[in-house]
Amino acid sequence: MYQYDLIDKEFLADRSAEFRGQVARRLSGELTEDQFKPLRLMNGLYLQLHAYMLRVAIPYGSLNSTQARRLAQIARDFDKGYGHFTTRQNIQFNWIKLKDAPEILDKLAEVDLHAIQTSGNCIRNTTSDPYAGATAEEVDDPRVWSEVIRQWSTLHPEFSFLPRKFKIAITASAKDRTAAKVHDIGLMLRQGRDGTLGFEVIVGGGQGRTPYVGPTIKQFLPTDRLLSYLEAVLRVYNRHGRRDNIYKARIKILVAALGAEEFARQVDEEWAKIDAARADLPTAELARIRAAFAKTPFETLPARSDAFETAKANDAAFARFVRNNVKPHKQPGYSIVEVSLKAQEQTPGDASAQQLEVVADLAERFSLNDLRVTHAQNLVLPHVKLDDLPTVFATLQASGLATPNIDLVSDIIACPGLDYCALANARAIPVAQDIARQFADLDRAEKVGELKIKISGCINACGHHHVAHIGILGVDKKGEEFYQLSLGGSGAEDASIGKILGPALPADKVATAVDQLVGAYLNVRNDGERFLDTYRRVGLEPFKEAVYAQAD
Amino acid sequence: MKAVVANRLIDGEVVFWKSGQWVERFGDAELFDAEAPVEHAVSVGKGQPTVVVDVYPIDLVQSDGRWAPLSYRERIRALGPTNEPTHGKQAEGGDVIEALRHAAGAARSTGRVDLIRRK
Ligand code: HEM
Ligand code: SF4
Repeated sequence: MYQYDLIDKEFLADRSAEFRGQVARRLSGELTEDQFKPLRLMNGLYLQLHAYMLRVAIPYGSLNSTQARRLAQIARDFDKGYGHFTTRQNIQFNWIKLKDAPEILDKLAEVDLHAIQTSGNCIRNTTSDPYAGATAEEVDDPRVWSEVIRQWSTLHPEFSFLPRKFKIAITASAKDRTAAKVHDIGLMLRQGRDGTLGFEVIVGGGQGRTPYVGPTIKQFLPTDRLLSYLEAVLRVYNRHGRRDNIYKARIKILVAALGAEEFARQVDEEWAKIDAARADLPTAELARIRAAFAKTPFETLPARSDAFETAKANDAAFARFVRNNVKPHKQPGYSIVEVSLKAQEQTPGDASAQQLEVVADLAERFSLNDLRVTHAQNLVLPHVKLDDLPTVFATLQASGLATPNIDLVSDIIACPGLDYCALANARAIPVAQDIARQFADLDRAEKVGELKIKISGCINACGHHHVAHIGILGVDKKGEEFYQLSLGGSGAEDASIGKILGPALPADKVATAVDQLVGAYLNVRNDGERFLDTYRRVGLEPFKEAVYAQAD
Repeated sequence: MKAVVANRLIDGEVVFWKSGQWVERFGDAELFDAEAPVEHAVSVGKGQPTVVVDVYPIDLVQSDGRWAPLSYRERIRALGPTNEPTHGKQAEGGDVIEALRHAAGAARSTGRVDLIRRK
């Protein structure tokens, strides 16, 4: 894993000292709220419904066990004992006091964590594949490039006051676990015919009130030109993005207005003017960063583990966990383990301090000190030996962390919604809990198969509802919470934006409607078809019928 | 009926106006049936930038014979998150909390009286 050097550490300590001064000046009245708000947002501190909320960056969703334990300690000492993992692989604490924030930043800085680039109109923390360095699918380790972007973009002077926030995702596998096509920039690393690596560059995807699947503006960008090309994209955006209208300020609006071809042309024109020697990353620096990720100390193991096979044959619960939560690893004898934060009655994406500590211990003992966060609000132990799986499973199970439902109907993404968020129209969490309850029967959930339900409490779409197989959006209908359902979205490599099913439903009808949708799917699905495939084949009608026909 | 709400600067706690003070319980909040004292409370609050932020009036409705915020949003602020019934103000329980939990009412927009004007 990448280690921060002295410069990084000093920088974080300085940053936290600076914020301490700013908070003191705000409390004494030297700074007004209008002056202070952008400063606190630059440190990830929002004011929400009940308290301040601190969003801590988890660069490319990767943590070591010391960091995970520190997050647990912060949850316990400064919050009410839990944290919420987000769809951008960060963690949010819901009950923070302004007066404690500088001390929290100090404690984060001690373990190389911070809240920089988690808010504001800058280049945000980069999202990447939680299976990076572990999956055989990848053509390169995307963490290398995520780290390059982190170093380049952190407090980048030219790009700290963009027209609007700017989010980048990187994947190096054909199977996309980052929602790259709905980011401001999605980078998909590919191998060219000659064996060299390049990025497919997708620009202008996004969610929020105007969702777009981003178009590709460059099929194959040689990796050594990444930074100059990003600079060119950001320059065009910085110059022409709509600063006059917050709803039109994202790059997706600019790309849509100009057309992908014209936008690409302007980027190329800008790119040609950039001095590559200045802008691109020196080979030696790339090699240094790459080396940090190359040193994963895998053991040489047989591909088959008797302990694992025996446990699987004798323990049905373990076998189910393996079917749903354990994924193949590139290294013989190892596996990738998904830790679901979607148990029955759990708030999707929430982890208690105790759970964080359990997972931190498991990461340290059984996963080469490596822990990942997924954009589906779950955790991943990326490098677990097959031999150790029964022990890891038992430990997870004892802490309510072994729910075998990854990508199944109860693995629901939900934003904080009206339970916490100042921008919300409706709650998201209780709706997720209702649906999960409806599908508590794991046999049934497995029979239904992959089904991605995602819920947002307002049109900002933090819960990714536009790109859900079944998307649920909270709306305010004359002061009552209502929910608009949409079908057929996907945030993966086959990205698409969902279509609205029909009139919004009251809260107590949503879980039933999802049940009806699933029923309709089971009636017409062909062998091997996921919900999404069936929808794409048969369209909206049979589903509409199922939900609205019986309604009065 | 109206009340005046804010967040306390130092910790973000939701607070309610009560005769010149800011109190943490909705049950202790001052209830207004006239406009002038509401405007007065809001303007005093806005003049205390080192004490509170985001000062605004909210509409109330009757519930279980008591007054409760009209909008769902403001009831959640007066209670705490519904997914964690032991977190926030609701933790201490009691009649006022129960009345808030049972309250229903259709608010225009969010029940935040001056929301439209503020934007
Ligand atoms: C609770 C405090 C939060 C606030 C104030 C907030 C605010 C926003 C806003 C205003 C947008 C729309 C941006 C636009 O359309 O230009 C947005 C989008 C988004 N947020 Fe949040 N959000 C919050 C929490 C979260 C959480 C908890 C997650 C993850 C679960 C998240 C992840 C995202 C994502 C993925 C998008 C969509 C992509 C985009 O348009 O940038 N946010 N958020
Ligand atoms: S989607 Fe809306 S309600 Fe949900 S976290 Fe984002 S801003 Fe808040």
